[in-house]
Amino acid sequence: MLMTAGLGFRTQHLDDALTTQAPGLWFEVHAENYMVDGGPRLAALCALAERFPISLHGVGLSLASVEPPAAEHLARLRDLADRVRPVAISDHLAWQKWQGRHHADFLPFPRTQEALDVTARNVARVQDALGRPIMVENPSLYVDLPGHQHSEAVFLAELARRTGCGLLVDINNIYVSAANLGFSAEARIDAIPADLIGEIHLAGHTADGDPSSPLLIDSHDQDVAEPVWQLYARLIQRIGARPTLIERDDNIPSFAVLMAERERAHLLLQEMEAAHA
Amino acid sequence: MPDAAAFQQSFGALLGHADDVPDVALRRALAVHHNTSVKAALDALCANYPVLQRLVGEEAFAACALDYVASRPPDDPRLCLYGAGFAAHVAAWPAYSELPYLAEVGALERLVVEALFASDAQCLDPSLLAGGLDLDMPLRLHPATRIACYDCPAASLWLAHLENNEPALDDIDWSPEIALVTRGTSGVEVQVIDVGTRDFLGARTLGAAASAAHDRGGDVAAIFSALLTAGAFSI
Repeated sequence: MLMTAGLGFRTQHLDDALTTQAPGLWFEVHAENYMVDGGPRLAALCALAERFPISLHGVGLSLASVEPPAAEHLARLRDLADRVRPVAISDHLAWQKWQGRHHADFLPFPRTQEALDVTARNVARVQDALGRPIMVENPSLYVDLPGHQHSEAVFLAELARRTGCGLLVDINNIYVSAANLGFSAEARIDAIPADLIGEIHLAGHTADGDPSSPLLIDSHDQDVAEPVWQLYARLIQRIGARPTLIERDDNIPSFAVLMAERERAHLLLQEMEAAHA
Repeated sequence: MPDAAAFQQSFGALLGHADDVPDVALRRALAVHHNTSVKAALDALCANYPVLQRLVGEEAFAACALDYVASRPPDDPRLCLYGAGFAAHVAAWPAYSELPYLAEVGALERLVVEALFASDAQCLDPSLLAGGLDLDMPLRLHPATRIACYDCPAASLWLAHLENNEPALDDIDWSPEIALVTRGTSGVEVQVIDVGTRDFLGARTLGAAASAAHDRGGDVAAIFSALLTAGAFSI
């Protein structure tokens, strides 16, 4: 059975996860939560990896930072990958390091030619350290910065062409960014080269601020919104089935509730597989 | 157009100072990024200091924790390890100047986090000693084992609050304590130990440990058995 729809893994769901029999199920974790020396959390992930495909999703490589990824951080990620043997490793098109601090969000930048050079160099450094390609995810955007020389779609496609990395398409991030910056989410979805897409993320969001002009926040604390499901269907109808993750990082429901949401993506992917067979 | 380094320098400097930015769209974006980042750090402190949070309440904890995040923001993306200096911050927090036990409970919670993520090693267990006891046998603390002395009953407070055991709170003898943190098969455990057990743990060989515990009037066999059960030693 191919990987269909997956879930973000939570340690409290370990027993449920280990006994579930859902075809095509896989799990993703934030790599940094497991880049530790040892202990029960890491052991739980290793136990899960015995039964299911695992994807390591980084939140700390700071791929667009002018400061290259730290060798120590890369070594820890490599160690984790050696232990878990993940089917995929990914991180975000963003920067987080600033003056020795780690800013735990995905910061934007003008997509210039220089930024492309910087990001490609960092991605290549990560892939060299890991000995394998990674995937890079589009972030949620909250402001239209001046100075872009490339659209996000062109920037990511060129990054993939230069480095051999794949693309992780976060549909919710596209929806949030489109709403906040006023562009067409459909056009953005349609512009991503199908052959570069290795994984899809679906998540929930919230509206914040002035009700007359709400800013959508990529909060991962809600069910996947209906317009995001519609964009997802649009994408997989064009490109075919891809491993798809239901992301939930806050306000986390029971495993059964998450599995019910995951089932919707699973069924859509099965339809696509049948249609493309 | 600024180069990438100049942009990141100026954008980074504006984070946390969004109110000073005249452009509304940029101000709102900066606020979202800053709030998301601060919330992640705050959540990490809440996860790593659960008993401290119960002792002071969510609101008071958040005030102290937010000040810590502002003064010592994360420098490592592994937020599960964030907050190494939080107990010292609590000790210096003016609102808690009359409550020194809070910082000691915080210090113990940090040891629990260290134990949770310490390296794996096979525990020394009784079956490995079936062939008889060699007094020259070296004793190695498991990488997760931590021992600390406190002026207040930090371990008893921690245990009673973790389990919401109010009767246990009434029984706490308000005196100094020695805490032992171990990671056995059932996870991280905290217990109060006596000076005999502490001295046993501080010795390098089984013979020296037995002698040290005996000098304190301890029941050597019982101490050794309890420490083996807790997984305090590795092979």
